[in-house]
Amino acid sequence: MIAHPVPAARTYVLVWVALMCLLALTLGSAFLPLGSLNSAINLIIAVAKALLVAFFFMHLRSAHYMLRIAAAAGFFWLAILICLSLTDFLAR
Amino acid sequence: MASAVVVARQFDDTDQQRRASDLGMWVFLATEVLFFGALFVAYTATRVHDPAAFEIASRLTNVTLGSINTGVLLTSSLVMALAVRSAKLGLRRASIVFMGATIVLGIAFLAIKGTEYWLDYAGHLVPAINFSHPGPHAGGVENFFYLYFFMTGVHSLHMLVGIVTVSVLLIMAARGDFTPWYFTPVELGGLYWHLIDIVWVFLYPLLYLVGRSS
Repeated sequence: MIAHPVPAARTYVLVWVALMCLLALTLGSAFLPLGSLNSAINLIIAVAKALLVAFFFMHLRSAHYMLRIAAAAGFFWLAILICLSLTDFLAR
Repeated sequence: MASAVVVARQFDDTDQQRRASDLGMWVFLATEVLFFGALFVAYTATRVHDPAAFEIASRLTNVTLGSINTGVLLTSSLVMALAVRSAKLGLRRASIVFMGATIVLGIAFLAIKGTEYWLDYAGHLVPAINFSHPGPHAGGVENFFYLYFFMTGVHSLHMLVGIVTVSVLLIMAARGDFTPWYFTPVELGGLYWHLIDIVWVFLYPLLYLVGRSS
């Protein structure tokens, strides 16, 4: 039985720096008059932050494929929920 | 000590046992994703119905406190990740310090959120209690604040559960329950904390940053 290898503390700190930069970017861009692009940029940055947290802080980067499938499944069903609901609301 | 790890009868070894725990936690987190997901769909449907009202309403939220809180929560996730790492390495003191810092940051988040609620109340923005807003979009603005209070309220409840969970983990760590061969509760508590962080990452732009440029 061996203890499992863990990422360096430096990696976690760098991910945090990236998260803070993305926070500054999303806050700053929100005040620029970009029309509908504002919402798109905000959502893309939110997804990027979520992926950073999931892959590094939640260890999906080094996780067993079974875990990745379980993690992806929740978001996959959420995508179905959102898409099918919007086919109704956007088509009214 | 490796021999201190108890392997339940249905598992071959500790690795299999740990993988089963991780899988179970991720399945639970998937239900949390769908739970909050339904609220995000409600938000989207309501916003599509009256986009202008959501721009007006979002500008009424406190973007300064909201942004500070996002920073506090992202930092708490870093500290929690470091706590899990320390526990895995068997660095008991470090894991205790990092868990303590996570709890402090979590309480700071709730304190800032509470301050915001108080300011919202003073600004007559609480539906069903004292909501009042002039203009043609009053109904849509009120709908936004129903969603705002429900989504941030449920998120804060999860934060509270997270703080209690990490507090229990801290006590367990102080008792010396965790070793480089057994750290499953810390790992799973960390996953919960990070998921609540991810939920906020989406709440922040949808509640605080809409219509800021107009």
